[in-house]
Formats: sequence, structure tokens, C-alpha cells
Amino acid sequence: MEKQRKKDLETNLNLPAPASWRRRTMLVFLYKILWRTILGVVIGLRYLGVNKNQPDGPVIYIANHNSHLDAISMMTVVPRHRLHLTHSVAAQDFFGNSFFRQWSMENLVNAVLISRKRREDQVDPIEFLDGLLQAGRSLILFPEGTRGVAGSMGDFKRGVGHLASRHPGIPVIPIYLDGLYRNLPKGRAMIVPFGGNLIMGEPLVFGDEDVDEITLRTQKALEVMAQELRDANRV
Amino acid sequence: MNKLISSWGMNAELQWVIFIILCILVVSSTAWFILGRLKPSKLATELQVRTRSWWVMCACFIVTTLVHPLVTVLGLMYLSYALLREMYPLLKLDARERNVVLVCYATVPIQYGLAYFGMKTLFLAFIPVFMFVFIPFLLVVRGETKGIVRSISLMPYSLVAWVYGMSHLALLFQLPESAGSTAGPQGLLLYLIFLVGMNDVLQFAWGKILGRRPVLPTVSPNKTWEGLIGGVLSITLIAVAMRFLTPLNVWQAAIVGFVTAIAGFMGDAIASGIKRDIGIKNSGHAIPGHGGYLDRLDGFSAAAAPFFHLIFFFCYS
Repeated sequence: MEKQRKKDLETNLNLPAPASWRRRTMLVFLYKILWRTILGVVIGLRYLGVNKNQPDGPVIYIANHNSHLDAISMMTVVPRHRLHLTHSVAAQDFFGNSFFRQWSMENLVNAVLISRKRREDQVDPIEFLDGLLQAGRSLILFPEGTRGVAGSMGDFKRGVGHLASRHPGIPVIPIYLDGLYRNLPKGRAMIVPFGGNLIMGEPLVFGDEDVDEITLRTQKALEVMAQELRDANRV
Repeated sequence: MNKLISSWGMNAELQWVIFIILCILVVSSTAWFILGRLKPSKLATELQVRTRSWWVMCACFIVTTLVHPLVTVLGLMYLSYALLREMYPLLKLDARERNVVLVCYATVPIQYGLAYFGMKTLFLAFIPVFMFVFIPFLLVVRGETKGIVRSISLMPYSLVAWVYGMSHLALLFQLPESAGSTAGPQGLLLYLIFLVGMNDVLQFAWGKILGRRPVLPTVSPNKTWEGLIGGVLSITLIAVAMRFLTPLNVWQAAIVGFVTAIAGFMGDAIASGIKRDIGIKNSGHAIPGHGGYLDRLDGFSAAAAPFFHLIFFFCYS
């Protein structure tokens, strides 16, 4: 029954099919072993507050966005058994314009591409993401919508608010990414290790708050985490 | 068990020093545990965290020192790399200079490779002679001169201070066998690590017990004359007592201990100055209770090269 409903959703909204076992193994190797080692040992990323007992169902991960390493580093803290069910949400207009980019995003990052602008002839991107949550998938969202200015956080778009208010009870896990923009800034192709911090905050669970309030509260949560990190090491 | 130990090539002197280190760790862990139970305070908790980190660090040092010289060299190499990686963003060398930073990282394996394969002359010249010219030239070749005086000064400094100095520990493995000692290069390495580590601990302890007059009030208010003198004198005595790890005689060991303690203090003070200018308390968070890599390795990186050259002067020339 439940399975059939998920299947229908997948076909109606044209959701990506669940990953094959080959792709699952590849994702676990890629993120839990390879990238985890590169990020931890070579780049020197410090993981803080990573929750080992994350909920077993769909989750919305949100983070500030400055670098292509952001989605990769967030995939390394997703629980192993949820990895193939977790989709980074990426911009169609940026990643969809070359075959190689699109292929690697969809196959290596397990991402879904959505258009940043709503268009008449396409499914509303929010409907699409909504369907993914209904089908039991987790999402990695960057609510700023763009990588923006290095080292600073822009205002959040309302997408995260829409999704969380339509799915009360689905936890929103805020992750503050500090310093990854130094390792791979916008417009550069080469990673130069400079360290950084990945801080996972307490899950936020929303009830019947309205869209703007949820958006504001998620943004506030990340800003507080950023401030705490800055204050921790002052003379 | 004895057979197992000797099959690792571990001799009596090394067993002794490891035994001493374990004793100190056990005693201090117990002491801080009791102190924390009797009179819970911030200091007691901090000492407990610090001692726990010392356990991990000692385990890493001892294991990597004993397994194989290659493992030791790789471990030291990673420490140098971690120091650079930690300091470059703090020194604001991460944006415009990032391609040159990559070259700086690349010098680390080259320098340690020269040490491991025993090319001593090239080892001594590579960073202070070749890289000293090459890195500034690369900075100029970028075609951007804004802030270049700063980066031309900082990048060769960072290489000399945190790569060149530390890499002398890897060069210890190139010293030929000498008549006076059976502990070999591993003995010398553990000797230096023990002296500098104890130097930090004892200067801290003497300062906490007797400390009145600050030695560098504007740079590091916690360092006192009492701590410095007490630390240097105790390290000199410890160096004499532990000289069974080295081919040194009593007077030579005393001089080595004295110089190591002073150099360790100087490295500590320099790092404090750098951190104060940047406006941070600790250089990072890699080692709980201690701070970042620089906070722990400042003394080692300053004392390693003087230690090596004194040993070489006393025993091999």
C-alpha cells in the first residue's frame, strides 16, 4: 500500500528512482570513506556536534552556501543507510548546462536539479521537492539559493519554510559550514586545503508556524551557530 | 613478551623511557582525578582534559617512533603540514596567495623526503636557500604587488619555522651509530620530545606554584620569571638524568637540556606573539585542552634544529 503510493508519486512527479545497490555502495564508499578521509585528514575539516542518532525518516538538512564542497561535506554526515535517499537540491541553470556537470551531479552527488525560476511548462519546484519528502527522501537545501559572497551569509529564500510547513514533524537539521569557501572558492577549480568547521545543530521541529516564521527561525539558528563559533576563540 | 619487544628492535633504554612516561601519565591522571573529586574547580577540569590529550599524544609519539622510521617521518611530515594548514588562513594568506600556498605545501614532502633518503646537504639548503628565493619569485610572478611585502616575509618564515625546524627530527635517523649509546635515533627523538614536553609542563607548573613576576606581560601574561627559571633548571637536571638515551656525557647533556628548554620557551613566546597580533587565544581546536597544532608544537619546532645541531657538534664532529 505504502509502497504503491510512493511508486505513484515517483511516476507522477517524475522523481528520480531509488538508487540501485551498485549506486548505494558507490555512494557509501565515496562519501563515508573517500571524502570523509579527504575532508578530515587532508583538508582538516573539524566535525562538531554530529548526531549519530539522526531520525530514520526524511530530514531536511539546511546550510549556508559558499562553495561546491558544501554539499559534499554535508553528504559525509548523512547516516550510511540514508545516503542513497538523500538528495542535494541544485540549480538547473548552473549544473544543467553541461552534460558532464549534470551527469556527475545526478550520479555522484545524488542531486536533483530544479529551476530557480518557476516556469509554466514545468512542475513547480516546491511540488517536486514536496513529493520527494512524501516519498521518504531527505533533502540537502541551501536556502540562500546561491553561493553568494565568500564568508558571508545572505537572507534565506522561503523554500525551506514552504517545505517545513507542509510537512510538520519533519526535522530541519541546521548545519553551519565555516571556512570551506577558502578551500574551494567560487570560480576556482582547484582545492587548496585551509581547514574549516562543520557544525551540526540541534534538529528544529516545526508545527503550524507560517512560512515566513519558519524561514526566519532557520536563518536565525544558523546565525546563532556562526556567532558562537566566532566568540569561542577571542582573546 | 621479551621476545616480542626485542623483535621490534626495542632495547632496554627505550623501554625505560616509555615506562617513565607511562608512570608520569598515570600519576598525573590519578592526581587530577583526586583533585577534581576533593575540590572541583575549573583548573582541575582543565588539567584532566590536558592530561587526557597528553595520553593520546604520547601514545601517537611512542607508537610512530617505534614502528618504523618511515612511519615516524610520515607522522612528522603530517604535523608540519597541519601547522601550515592551520596558520595560513589565520595569517590571511588564503585568498590571493592560494596557488603559492600550494607550492608551500609541496615543499613539506620534499623536505622530509630529503631527510628520509639522507641527502643532508640538500636538506640543509632546500628551504633556507632555494625556497627562500623561489617562493618570493612566485609571488612576484603572479603580477600582483598589493600586500606582497607581507606575503614575501610570511611565507618563507612559515616554511623555516614550521617545516625546516621540525624536519630536523626526521634527520635524526640519518645520524650514524655512535659508540656511546644503544638507543639510536629513536632514543634521541624520544629524548627531545620528552624534554620539550616536560619543559612546557614544568614551566606551567612552576609558574602556577611560585609565579609572581611576568616575564612578557604584554605578550603572554601567564609566563613568569619563576616558571621560566624553574622550568629551565629542572629540564637541565632531567636532561642529565635521562642521558642514557643519548651518547652525551654529563656536561654535554646539561648544555643540551639548557638550550632545549630556552629554545622551547622562545618558540612558545614567538607563537604567543603571533597569536596575540592575530587576535586569537588558541591557533585551533585540534587537541582538546591544548588548542591547535601550533599551541602544542611551538616549542618542538623551535627546539628541534638547535637540538640536532648540538648533538651533531658534540658527538659527530
